[in-house]
Amino acid sequence: MNHTLRMNIQKVEGAIIRLLGLIERRGFSVTAMNAHSDDAAQQVEITLQLRSTGRSVDTLTRQIEKLYDVRSVACLAASEPAVVMEESVAC
Amino acid sequence: MSFKGAELLVRALEQQGVEYVFGYPGGAIMPVYDALLNSPIKHILARHEQGAALAADAYARVTGRPAVCMATSGPGATNLVTGIANAFMDSVPLVVITGQVPTVVMGTDAFQEVDVFGITMPIVKHSFIVRRAEDIPKIVAQAFQIAAEGRPGPVLVDLPKDVSSAVPAAASIFEMRRRKRISPDPEQVRIAQALILAAERPVLYAGGGIPLAGAVDAFRAYARASGIPTVTTLKGIGSLPTRDESYLGMLGMHGNRAANRAIQESDLLICVGARFDDRATGRLDGFAPGARVIHMDADASEIGKLRQADAGLLGELPESLAAMPTGLDIAPWREWCAARKAEHAWRYDAPGEYIYVPDMLRRLSEAAPDVTIACDVGQHQMWVAQHCHFDRPEQHLTSAGLGTMGYGVPAGIGACLARPGTRVITVSGDGSIMMNIQELATIRRYGLDLKILLVDNASLGMVRQWQQLFHAERYSEVDLSDNPDFVEVARAFGIPGFRITRRDEVDGAIRRLLETEGPLLAHVCIDPKSNVWPLVPPGQSNDVMMEELSA
Repeated sequence: MNHTLRMNIQKVEGAIIRLLGLIERRGFSVTAMNAHSDDAAQQVEITLQLRSTGRSVDTLTRQIEKLYDVRSVACLAASEPAVVMEESVAC
Repeated sequence: MSFKGAELLVRALEQQGVEYVFGYPGGAIMPVYDALLNSPIKHILARHEQGAALAADAYARVTGRPAVCMATSGPGATNLVTGIANAFMDSVPLVVITGQVPTVVMGTDAFQEVDVFGITMPIVKHSFIVRRAEDIPKIVAQAFQIAAEGRPGPVLVDLPKDVSSAVPAAASIFEMRRRKRISPDPEQVRIAQALILAAERPVLYAGGGIPLAGAVDAFRAYARASGIPTVTTLKGIGSLPTRDESYLGMLGMHGNRAANRAIQESDLLICVGARFDDRATGRLDGFAPGARVIHMDADASEIGKLRQADAGLLGELPESLAAMPTGLDIAPWREWCAARKAEHAWRYDAPGEYIYVPDMLRRLSEAAPDVTIACDVGQHQMWVAQHCHFDRPEQHLTSAGLGTMGYGVPAGIGACLARPGTRVITVSGDGSIMMNIQELATIRRYGLDLKILLVDNASLGMVRQWQQLFHAERYSEVDLSDNPDFVEVARAFGIPGFRITRRDEVDGAIRRLLETEGPLLAHVCIDPKSNVWPLVPPGQSNDVMMEELSA
């Protein structure tokens, strides 16, 4: 499933790696990335194309919104799968 | 008058009302320890940074306010990591301050340099590297606000030594944004009200978000006014007093059968501050299969994460709860639940000669209803959750999400300091206690009145139980029969102790624990083959509960 997210984040130390780390940790892989830093506005505009294997991009969006440095996140294109919870594989 | 960065930090902590800092000094954090000498803030010296972080975690759980722990750079910082992860998994407000090497040498592999900002990124709610001393007051204020608001969590402040030593030219002026208050969406409230009024078999599924949100009274008011049967998660225990007639017990893997059966039978699950964790739900697609779901939470990303919600109420729990209807026509369902509760009530008539821990714990909490229990992790942790009674959630301190062996003793320390004069008992196991045994020195150093009930089965009991049940009795590295003499160990730390091995000694031991002034360790030797029942096997639905195997 491919999705495109556009985010506006504050230009502060760690903000980009925090965002990318969260996305990978939550089960999405980044297939394309574009980032533009606006020094005057102290912000970075990031557009990402993501691929997932069935995780909800809607939940991911809300997880990204929780990051303190994120000002906005918009889902430009989503192919939301019907979320099927597989059997519990937790140990 | 100009202040150094370290002094600004300590002043900022004072302004936040910080009474205790839990920590351990070292090179890069020395300016802060120097400034602490001139502060009314009391520093609690743990004997390992992990002990400091876990004690701070428990202190925050009991007080409901952010707690502070501190360590130096490098190994000091990495030793905090387990404590930070523990607070993250259980949503505990913690402000973690680490010393860092001077900014000019950061990134050069300097002595005791480690990128703790990077290491902890996945386990903090937020983190800062302080680059300028004048930013310290603002960053500390932000750290406390972020740690406490909404869904709480740990916030790391990494403070390079040159920044804490610098005297800033001018104090920066800053304004904090207002705390966000979110009200649930009126349309979702209407849907939830209709679902409750239409439900024949509703269940309240209460989680740790209730105490975190300060919503215990609001939850009780709604549970009692509506009469809806209540089950709790491990962290939700005590949200409704465990003796309340509507309380069915903890759900999940080691839950009470009545609680799990009610959930499975329900047609409406009202999830209040819980997150459908795998230990609670078992196999997710078999969890409450016939139920619609109302999900109330402070964290938008939890609603619909693992189970689709028919109504999602994002915002302050008391406001959501107050909007829900009462006067429900559910008498037959309440009777069904009451009958299951009676049918599956715990039994304490275990055969055999060994001390039966569930019965001992039940007797303990009957003898001291006000007791705060700080648990370690393993079989004894589940027995406490099953068999002890709690009037309030903050009486039950347990490492739920991370399952951190070694939590119990530091947590007991944090609880003793959070509420002086409260009766606190750490219930630990022979595996867990060795993970932070050095904190016995902290108990002694501060003269804390912490009692320790050490349940010793000479093995890693929970792992042994799983190897017995799910690995064909192939026991691998679970034998601890070469444990040290724990009474002697306690004595060496200046803490008196005694040992019991027989059932007829249990009441006397409980009396001794409750009547003795000062710290005391009771070493309780039990059957190495004891198991926790019932048990939902991993990957199964909560319908499948194994009961005790016949001997």
